[in-house]
Amino acid sequence: MKKYLIMAVSAATLIGGVALFADDERYERKVYAKSEKAVQPDMPKKKLNEFETLYQKECGSCHMAYQPEFLPKRSWSKMMDTLDNHFETDATLDVNDHKTILTYLTSNAGDSKYTTKHFSKMSNSVPRDEAPLRISQTPYFMKEHRGIPKRLIEQKEVKSIANCAACHTTANQGIYSERAINIPNYGRWDD
Amino acid sequence: MKKVLTVLWLSATLGLAAPIEGYMQTLADEAKKTDASFSGFDAKRGEKLFFSEHVGKKGKKISCASCHTNDLNKAGENVFTAKVIDPLSPKANKERLSDVKNVKKWLRRNFNDVYNREGTALEKGDVLTFIRNY
Repeated sequence: MKKYLIMAVSAATLIGGVALFADDERYERKVYAKSEKAVQPDMPKKKLNEFETLYQKECGSCHMAYQPEFLPKRSWSKMMDTLDNHFETDATLDVNDHKTILTYLTSNAGDSKYTTKHFSKMSNSVPRDEAPLRISQTPYFMKEHRGIPKRLIEQKEVKSIANCAACHTTANQGIYSERAINIPNYGRWDD
Repeated sequence: MKKVLTVLWLSATLGLAAPIEGYMQTLADEAKKTDASFSGFDAKRGEKLFFSEHVGKKGKKISCASCHTNDLNKAGENVFTAKVIDPLSPKANKERLSDVKNVKKWLRRNFNDVYNREGTALEKGDVLTFIRNY
């Protein structure tokens, strides 16, 4: 009897262990692929992965998890201070998660470190005395999107200017090149 | 030997019991505290809470079904951001109701979004009962 018990317990442990391990590996690969392009590792890589995964999970469940480089630190601080009314929605978080995500956002903000071209342009275009909450209200963003007809933005496949990935097909990987643009019911966009 | 086995069996079943059961019990205790005549949660009441429309936080008339759709076995879509929402029913989506922290967070947020206030223990228990039995 005892033998069976030991066997059963060790089998369960083994299966659980393998499942956990496999899960870890998958996460690692996914997050690396994402962060290489978009995020310069100012934070230790392991920590960055953990923080980024939480950010993706928590904020990405309602909308795209916008790359933090798009806005300056002051914008993200204000954002995290007003989550109880986040664009008229309750987006409040558990205390620990709140702390982690605030750290992730502010330490990867556009004015916190070196960023690749298009990211820094967005954040750097914000006047110093302003802290916009919408990336779409930064001057550089508005300049880049001003030629797009309203109907293409309001159509059901896009719904709002905040839905980056509807047209920027690789937005989730942090790639917003012109080549990767495909506007639903319109196609490529040339400036 | 028998004693050891019993202890092991007990800890195994406790470990396997869904964490949501513990949360349901907490809600039931709370509901009983506010109303001594409380006699258990009710899926029918939960269903009504789920489908009834209210002017929510955004000033628009919505219900839970506005995003989660009328069929809980189907994927929904955030009515404001167009982001896809996985099915709410644990039958169609095994991840659902498996993480109590997540359940608490979404009940808090979504009651505020639709009802403009937090839900009571009774309401939360009723809605969860409706979802679990869907």
